[in-house]
Amino acid sequence: MPITYEAVKRLSAQLYDWSLRRVPDDTKLGLRRALEAETHAGARQVLKMMLGSAQRAEQDERFVCSDAGVPVYHVTIGTAARLEGDIKAAIADGFDELVATISPPLLKHVTNPLTNERGHKGKDMPLVTWDVAGGADWVEILCQPKALGSGRWAALETFSFPSLAQIEEYVMKVVLQAGSQHCPPVIIGVGIGGSFDVAARIASKATMRQVGSTNPEPVLAAMEERLLRAVNATGFGPMGTGGDTTALAVHVDYASGHGYTPVAVCFNCWINRRTRARLHADGSVERFE
Amino acid sequence: MSDAFRRIRMPMTREEARSLRAGDIVLLDGEIVITAGLPTIQRLVGCAEAGRDPPIALAGGSLLHLGSYSRDTADGGLEILYMNPTTSTRFNALMPRLIRHFGLTAVGGKGGLDAGCVAAMAEVGCVYLSFLGGGAPLHSAAITAVREVAYPDLVAHYRLVRLAVEGLGPVTVGIDAHGNSLFDTLQAQARDRLPGILDALAASRDSG
Repeated sequence: MPITYEAVKRLSAQLYDWSLRRVPDDTKLGLRRALEAETHAGARQVLKMMLGSAQRAEQDERFVCSDAGVPVYHVTIGTAARLEGDIKAAIADGFDELVATISPPLLKHVTNPLTNERGHKGKDMPLVTWDVAGGADWVEILCQPKALGSGRWAALETFSFPSLAQIEEYVMKVVLQAGSQHCPPVIIGVGIGGSFDVAARIASKATMRQVGSTNPEPVLAAMEERLLRAVNATGFGPMGTGGDTTALAVHVDYASGHGYTPVAVCFNCWINRRTRARLHADGSVERFE
Repeated sequence: MSDAFRRIRMPMTREEARSLRAGDIVLLDGEIVITAGLPTIQRLVGCAEAGRDPPIALAGGSLLHLGSYSRDTADGGLEILYMNPTTSTRFNALMPRLIRHFGLTAVGGKGGLDAGCVAAMAEVGCVYLSFLGGGAPLHSAAITAVREVAYPDLVAHYRLVRLAVEGLGPVTVGIDAHGNSLFDTLQAQARDRLPGILDALAASRDSG
């Protein structure tokens, strides 16, 4: 069976809707672990309230945050998948359908950067990145709506043959710049190398990884562990009112490059909006989160 | 857990505002005035500059950076579907004027306000209340009634809204009326800690 326009459209709308009403399980587990380890009394209260808000959102199918963000999708197409219809249009049409039907309504967050006018539609919206999976017969869609806490504080700087010390110092510089503005505890993505756009994409993709997962590359796993300790030693804490929990995870990945090395750092706020599902050749939908 | 916190009747008195300290955690009862809109804050500055009364009385009261989405109900009232804080630092430049002119006793939202606001708050006797971002299900559940809505020409979350709440929070006093800001203190603390943090990173790299 081919993977159809209709199936992609429906799933694009559903993934967005689901992401607004549920904090991913790995993230809730990360918050619970943080609560166990947290020594600051005020921070413990904020973490408890976060878990309470996540639970209440799920139970009552309510939005966790009032800022539903703008639609951002990451699509991976298997090279053996048979497609029917305009898959690209299906994602935009799925979002349009969601805007028309969702309750409570989505606020107009899509902003024209030249005029600051806001609406539900705009040039290149939804923002979609495309990837290919060799041999697979499925299409995977990941939805990660972006608002202030999951986009505004990202930064990138390009170095020449940097040492790990320089790279890690830069990560800390961006962490201090963001301070408490992004609704911590955050998930931090770091992308090293490649080119300007590739580093940014790697950082963004790194935030999509499961909280609590270990990087398969030992060098990166060690780097993630020490950066997480470093970020949490800053003391900003949950919602920036003090504590040991400023980040739930730091995820690092890299690509080879030329020797000039872009380092990109980005953040996802504590609710870590993210849903992912696969459309299979037999017509089934496999939901991951 | 809610009974363990000090409860504050809103609008809070100036004495009560001055009695709070940065880091205190409280629950709010009573009435609050909210908006998440920059155009709204600009209109209120316009009122202050022209000596006009704002459409909802603010003197000695609260102005919180919370956005709400409401819909009309069959009986002609309004139902709030959700309420959540927005980033207050967006309003840094305009808040000192409003804090001083209206003698606000409480402002709030998320992320804090800058030194200019902290100074105005200390002068007037006003605190900043830090709300949980991503707390819409909890904040919304604390609303008991919608009292007044102004600026209906603006989108829902930008409107100026007076609400009755019960047990809203817990919220953290992020900035007190004595010039103490958790946000500034923690930013300074992080900068002070940075050399030690970088040393620890180096030691960890060397031992790995």
